[in-house]
Amino acid sequence: MKTPLNPDRRARWLVPICIILFCIVALYFTTTFKKMPPILKRGIQPSDFPQLVCLLIVSLTLLMVWKDPVRIVERVTSKSWMTMGLMIGFVALMQVDLFLALGAFAATLTMLWGERRPLNIALVGILIPTTVFFLFDLVFKIRFPRGLLTSLWYG
Amino acid sequence: MDAFLNGFLALTDPSLLLLLVAATLGGVIIGALPGLNATTGAALLLPFTLTMEPVAAISILTAIYCSATFAGAITAILINTPGTSASATTCLDGYPLALRGEAGRALGMAVVASTIGGVLSVICLMIAAPVLARAAYNFAPPEYFALTLFGLSMLVSVGGGSPIKNLIAGAFGILLATVGVDLLTSVKRFTFDVPQLHEGIGFVPVMIGVFGISELLSQASALHQKREQVTMKAIKLPSMADYKKVWKTILRSTGIGTFIGILPAEGATVASMIGYNEARRWSKTPEEFGKGAIEGIAGSEAANNSATGGAMVPTLALGIPGSPTAAVILAGLLVHGLRPGPTMFTEQADFAFAIFWSMLFVNLLFLVIGLYGAKVFARVTLIPIRMLWPSVFIFSIVGAYALDQSMFDVWIAIVSGIIGYFMRVYGFSVVPLAIGLILGGMLEQRLGQSMVMLDEQWWLIATRPLSAFFLILTAIALFGPALWKLITGQRPAFKKGS
Repeated sequence: MKTPLNPDRRARWLVPICIILFCIVALYFTTTFKKMPPILKRGIQPSDFPQLVCLLIVSLTLLMVWKDPVRIVERVTSKSWMTMGLMIGFVALMQVDLFLALGAFAATLTMLWGERRPLNIALVGILIPTTVFFLFDLVFKIRFPRGLLTSLWYG
Repeated sequence: MDAFLNGFLALTDPSLLLLLVAATLGGVIIGALPGLNATTGAALLLPFTLTMEPVAAISILTAIYCSATFAGAITAILINTPGTSASATTCLDGYPLALRGEAGRALGMAVVASTIGGVLSVICLMIAAPVLARAAYNFAPPEYFALTLFGLSMLVSVGGGSPIKNLIAGAFGILLATVGVDLLTSVKRFTFDVPQLHEGIGFVPVMIGVFGISELLSQASALHQKREQVTMKAIKLPSMADYKKVWKTILRSTGIGTFIGILPAEGATVASMIGYNEARRWSKTPEEFGKGAIEGIAGSEAANNSATGGAMVPTLALGIPGSPTAAVILAGLLVHGLRPGPTMFTEQADFAFAIFWSMLFVNLLFLVIGLYGAKVFARVTLIPIRMLWPSVFIFSIVGAYALDQSMFDVWIAIVSGIIGYFMRVYGFSVVPLAIGLILGGMLEQRLGQSMVMLDEQWWLIATRPLSAFFLILTAIALFGPALWKLITGQRPAFKKGS
């Protein structure tokens, strides 16, 4: 019977493979950069430096596999996954209104993390986003993208 | 001399003084809050400074830097949790003292040692930065390239990651810096026809992401942790007997901290570790260390606060960040259109000295705040994480948007935060990524300029005396620890942590 792979052992190979694949893709894209004629290239071609960095990362990654294998130093808990899931929800709601998304995210997160008192939830989900909005709008003169709620203020 | 006085005069502006008081109070709160530190605080507050004058903006960031570094001691002593990683060694003796009912004495020593360390290092900064800038005035691109490379090589020992992982993270930051239109040739690189990427990936949203949002995700795993606060009646100034016992330790740690701070990328954390170790090594009663030695607190706190002044020396004089927080301040300087480097002391000398004076003011201010307010500020540690971090997220997102008023930056902050979180999970520090992003552009630009200057014969960089000197330092920084291990057959005396 096969035993499930230890997360540390999986990370040991998965992380370097991801890094190397990323570098290979980046290296491929560097080959699509425009080449400058010798008179205009100002010392190095635009693709030279990124290629050098990609190769450095690949070399260091191989060295890491040999000398200092990757291991998990911080467990990803269900709360972390759920928080990331909420961030996806935030990104989706952001298309409707940035501050609506911020308020909803903050209120939901505080509840997800165990807050049950309505006053505290309202403080985080309503009062803080509203204060931050007016602080940036009135004091720092930052104009936020129009949305369901912000349009009420901008008219 | 004019700049020295003009810098002081800038500080007589009541509104600037008021801002500095507010920033110092804010910095103390940030330093005392669990999970927040000077780097995260400065990154989150950077967008708030965008509409301000450069002197006020950078003074605020340096105030946050100094005061948050000090405030880490409050939580270290009272709840055995360092508010910042630089105060980790303060826990070792601070908390045992607090358990013995001497929390007031421990905090008093932390405040005094921090102030002395901070003030002396700022005086050192006032003297050393212009001298270093003058020395660097005749640097040509090859020297700058070698110096930037040296700055990057110091990434091996920052953050919590291993040297190899730090270098990978730093190189990844450098690669990110190549995104956008190449300044030397105007060729688009990694832009994928996305107009927002033409100007490259901004430092600020990435910093907000890797320091703020990734920490939020880390905090999600630490919700179950309970903190018990030790009660404290009143903070007590050190007695004469305490002063007699620690004055040498404070001076030694100040020297160590300032020197470590001056080294590129090395910050208060490494300084406090060495300061603490040296305090124990020179102590007449080393057996008391770890059980409540007052010298341990003095050694750690004087070193970590003096590193703040030291870290500003290469940041302002050479444009190479002296610590992770200095990297955020460097980003702040660049965002405000200032060019840190030797010319800062000729073309913007008044500005540079105004920053020095404001740092001196802040160091004296937190003596007062520390002595009279530590008890109050200790209470902020009781703010529940479940309310604190959702609020930090709001500030992070709005801050990321505010710089260029671009929703694309919000995306960058969120993506950087998630990447930063997984980097932490797999043992990579996020600090080298941020520093690599800042220095990557400079490195490439200086390499290109050197190639033009040296007629594309890159190996000539190593034939110039100063460049060769920096390249040798780079080699020592990269291979020194391994060589040391090879020679002695053992690990270095101390392990550098986050």
